[in-house]
Amino acid sequence: MAERGAGDRGGFGRGFGGRGRGDRGGRGGRGGRRGGRRDSDEKEWVPVTKLGRLVRDGKIKSIEQIYLHSLPIKEYQIIDILIGPSLKDEVMKIMPVQKQTRAGQRTRFKAFVVVGDGNGHVGLGVKCSKEVATAIRGSIILAKLSVIPVRRGYWGNKIGKPHTVPCKVTGKCGSVTVRMVPAPRGAGIVAARVPKKVLQFAGIEDVFTSSRGSTKTLGNFVKATFDCLLKTYGFLTPDLWRETRFSKSPFQEYTDLLAKPTTKVVHVVEDAEAA
Amino acid sequence: MSKEMEFDANEEKLKTLRVSSLDEEEDDNEAQVDEIDDPDLSTDEDEEGEVHPVTLGFVEKLKNKWSLLRHYFPSKAGGTPAWLDPINLPSEKSSLCDFCSEPLQFLLQVYGPLTEESTFHHESTFHRALFVFMCPSMACLLRDQHEQWKRHPEKPCRSVKVFRCQLPQTNSFYSGKPPSEDGTEQPLTAGAKLCNWCGTWKGDKVCSSCRKARYCSGKHQAAHWRSGHRLACTRLQTSLEMSESAASNSLWPQYEITIEDECEFENEMSDSEYSNILVSGNRVDESVRSLMDDFAGDDDKRSWASFQERISRAPEQVLRYCRSAKAKALWPVHSGRPSRSDIPACNYCGGTRCFEFQVLPQLLYYFGVQNDVDSLDWATIVVYTCEASCKGDEGYKEEFAWVQLVSQSAP
Repeated sequence: MAERGAGDRGGFGRGFGGRGRGDRGGRGGRGGRRGGRRDSDEKEWVPVTKLGRLVRDGKIKSIEQIYLHSLPIKEYQIIDILIGPSLKDEVMKIMPVQKQTRAGQRTRFKAFVVVGDGNGHVGLGVKCSKEVATAIRGSIILAKLSVIPVRRGYWGNKIGKPHTVPCKVTGKCGSVTVRMVPAPRGAGIVAARVPKKVLQFAGIEDVFTSSRGSTKTLGNFVKATFDCLLKTYGFLTPDLWRETRFSKSPFQEYTDLLAKPTTKVVHVVEDAEAA
Repeated sequence: MSKEMEFDANEEKLKTLRVSSLDEEEDDNEAQVDEIDDPDLSTDEDEEGEVHPVTLGFVEKLKNKWSLLRHYFPSKAGGTPAWLDPINLPSEKSSLCDFCSEPLQFLLQVYGPLTEESTFHHESTFHRALFVFMCPSMACLLRDQHEQWKRHPEKPCRSVKVFRCQLPQTNSFYSGKPPSEDGTEQPLTAGAKLCNWCGTWKGDKVCSSCRKARYCSGKHQAAHWRSGHRLACTRLQTSLEMSESAASNSLWPQYEITIEDECEFENEMSDSEYSNILVSGNRVDESVRSLMDDFAGDDDKRSWASFQERISRAPEQVLRYCRSAKAKALWPVHSGRPSRSDIPACNYCGGTRCFEFQVLPQLLYYFGVQNDVDSLDWATIVVYTCEASCKGDEGYKEEFAWVQLVSQSAP
């Protein structure tokens, strides 16, 4: 190997530092293997966060465990593994935005993407980039990171699966307010084109909506419906009146220290009551 | 006549001067307005400032038994360190965690000689290695976070320590020629005896009954006694005891660190042309701005996003090396970054310290660290070393490490 010359580079063997741009020797099989396969990056995900490592090991089976303990999801591959196969995405709008510079205008593209599995999970992502494809890709990732659970309920008799919003909820963004009202089965989604898409992704089958404000601004309109869906799980209804039994967070559940379970459980309950 | 013409020419010159300066002012104002209000739009600009070539480190399973021995000058992670200078090991005081007084565990070592391209290359930096040790307890790491923010403490208490060692080409430990590739090379001298349990630190203390097993501290002696030495001690099977591998089962798994340049992974880089859509004066409106604020996120989210984007080119990397005065680390989290004055000067020569390399959390995945509440977890460990790589006496010099943790609370 070229770099084994005595002392002209400093040091023996392959050390860090001093590898100039022209030095391609001694790469070994690694570079070739890397350069060939692009699609296998999905399988080669190396998690960076503790939650990611738990998901990668398969210790977390459903995304509701993460929602229950309000853990921040920082890697989109977590969502991919947990609900990825059923997740669909759609680009709502590509909007060119401009900035004035000395040499004219600099145009970038802003992409709005909604992802959802049609069964209680939606996400919304916005990304601005110089190229359309990059913006779309980035916004899909951001949408996956912002997936929220949506609570569904009944309009009248509790027969079959929940199909509508559990109660009247309203969401606001900018000047746009969106109000969702429970509807009987068969009513369908009574909404404008934009929120209808979002609600379809959420898995809500019947709902009446009413909006106010400048709904022409698609960004605010979409965000207002998203905010509205966010509030469905924040609303205290009579069937949630029973006291919650706290369970261990995914980090605590897999500890090997089974010697002290009682102290841990008490600790969690105290925290929640104090909160 | 000529004077009049000169006057006209001068006036015109003045006029042109004025017009262009007005334009500049306008542009500056507009540019400022945009940048203040649109954090999302201006993020790309900042990145394209100075690009230093970064070298990445990847972990690989050991190919042959000899390539991680110290006379082959390896870069490795986990297991036991391959000490560059095998005699003058760090003192016992510096080998302990300052919070729990347990001996520190070996994390990784980097063989990074200074070459002729660097301004601080001199004959004593022909061989140069950096060793990173940390206490495997998360409680100590949390306390360490408080300590690293203190500037000029009287007694620095850390649970993460970095040691630097350098040797000239002609030295008493290794031959001046490159080692052969077939595993037959031997070092010139045997090293100091190491602890039987951890295989890391100097084994000064001896087992009182058999007087053969060596330990670095009482804790390791007790651990080895409990896990098998109690039976083997009386049988005086000294040859088996003195085997090369450490007896501890809590050491992190051993890997070799291979090196690649980051530029080899840049595939779809260039955002070369953007289409020239002549949208008439369509400036950014309020709604879009508010959307950007909430979904582009605050500083923490943005730095996390750019961190993820950067490492997605090579997701398996565990080390980022870039030794340059102006090089900046890749910070996953915005908060918890040191400023210039948080990084202390070199203890030995008083010179400034500059960024050398950083360790990424993918290493935790490769080590198979548990994922409990109290298990080890960090966002990055950044190592700053003396810029001049000062020579000093023999042995190992301490350098500065900065640990950044992931914030546990929900955003």
